[in-house]
Amino acid sequence: MSRSITMGQYLPGNSFIHLLNPRIKVLSLLLVLFLLFSIQTYTGLISLFLVVLILIAVARVPFRYFLRGLRPILYIALFALVIYFFFTRGGVVLLRVGIITVESEGVREGLFVVTRLITLVLFSLLLTLTTTPLSLTYGMGYFLKPLRYIGLPTEEVAMIMAISLRFIPTLMEESQRLMRAQIARGADFETGSIFRRAKSLVPLIVPLFVSAFRRADELALAMEARGYRLGAIRTRMYEDTIAPRDWMVLAITLALIAVTFTIGL
Amino acid sequence: MFIGTEKLTHTYMPGTPFAMEALKEVSFSLSRGEFALIIGPSGSGKSTLIQHLNGLLKPTSGQVFFEDRAIGSDKTELLKLRRRIGLVFQMPEEQFFSETVFDEVAFAPRNLGLDEEQVRTGVKDALEKVGLDAELLYDRHPFQLSAGQKRLVALAAVLSLNPEVLILDEPTAGLDPAGRRHLFLLLDRLNRDTGLSVLVCTHHLDEAAAFANTVLVLQGGKVILSGPAEEVFAKRDQLYNLGLALPAVTEIMYGLVEKKLPVRTNIYTIDEARKEINKLKGRQE
Repeated sequence: MSRSITMGQYLPGNSFIHLLNPRIKVLSLLLVLFLLFSIQTYTGLISLFLVVLILIAVARVPFRYFLRGLRPILYIALFALVIYFFFTRGGVVLLRVGIITVESEGVREGLFVVTRLITLVLFSLLLTLTTTPLSLTYGMGYFLKPLRYIGLPTEEVAMIMAISLRFIPTLMEESQRLMRAQIARGADFETGSIFRRAKSLVPLIVPLFVSAFRRADELALAMEARGYRLGAIRTRMYEDTIAPRDWMVLAITLALIAVTFTIGL
Repeated sequence: MFIGTEKLTHTYMPGTPFAMEALKEVSFSLSRGEFALIIGPSGSGKSTLIQHLNGLLKPTSGQVFFEDRAIGSDKTELLKLRRRIGLVFQMPEEQFFSETVFDEVAFAPRNLGLDEEQVRTGVKDALEKVGLDAELLYDRHPFQLSAGQKRLVALAAVLSLNPEVLILDEPTAGLDPAGRRHLFLLLDRLNRDTGLSVLVCTHHLDEAAAFANTVLVLQGGKVILSGPAEEVFAKRDQLYNLGLALPAVTEIMYGLVEKKLPVRTNIYTIDEARKEINKLKGRQE
């Protein structure tokens, strides 16, 4: 259980992709997503799909982590395919069973939409698998900064996000420990009706809440003791610098957009 | 073999970049009725090892034995096993979830499907075994108790299963010296009076050394030393290099030996030390 959750995120490494500045990574992802939805032709889509495959190879992240990340969208993809196959009209009739027909336009559009969805998820996974949660929140927080001027506490929101991400593995570990401890006391979390199983979670949830509140309390004290104040300007231990390779990535992304729009892909 | 392992290896998160081999070919065995210690520095695999002993963790390779039979993965077998081998986790009071001490201790017997009458006797017995006044505590909220009392109630919550083996992970963590001594005296009494086999993980030899028959020393997931307590404790330098200190009294006896005084060094309690020193004084006079 803890595996699927902790593994959904960061995998350590030191490839070109891992070393990119998080702000640039987030910005590039946004640009690529924009590109993905502007592309109208198969040529463009397949090219972009190849780009993400190349990047995955460069990041040296085993492909099975991407397959695992794609699993949740499997049903959405299948559902979309079915809808497009059976309900979009146009082109040549490929299959006819009774009143149901599959026409070539439907197949064409269905595959296009699904490929676009898969490419989109692969790009996003590439970001989350190669960026630590902390860098990721920093990168996203950076682009939220302008909202500060309309009165949103963006620094604090980024801190809340960072802390939540930081404690997901801790709480997962804790819940596993508690689960084992209660199993050792004869608890059964697996059999019985849904109602029974929900009730059997009480010995897990109550201690988990108690410890989460205690942890939150201790963390708040520790942060205050170390000088954390709301609204104060914070500095970072590792000043993030934008290296030549970051400019290069940004330039390539912009170039892709430019090419797409000039030749109308 | 009453309880033990053979070439037990455990890897956390195998096949990922986070893979960590916590136990490497650990083999050991204990007899019924023993008081055994597993000692070793933090992260040496103690907790991982004991969670195999009642089937909470599955070996990556190797086997775990109970009464000469390998522990399998059959569900009903495992349930029976966990009833007979009680496991008290580190900081067990963090598992509390009930509103009264009675319900907390009754959790285990109720899970066994006993009727209310049997549950009531089970709870009373368990609380009395740990030396608490059962009637007085029944309706108290577990969170209102003192740290020492909480620990004892947590112990009772496992003893209410009526196990034959009691395994404890760092049972004295977070207790004051009096509470620590009290807990070990209690474990010793249960071991002697009821024949309960006791297995304790710890890295504080101070309070534990005097009670152990058998000791297993782990480091980096491997068994470094094992055998009768006196033999293991005699290897003072080796223990020292592992970051494990003998009890302060034993160190004093070693100090006396260095001063060329003829005393024994296999002494783990203040009482024994006092006797030995008095004997020495008698001889000198």
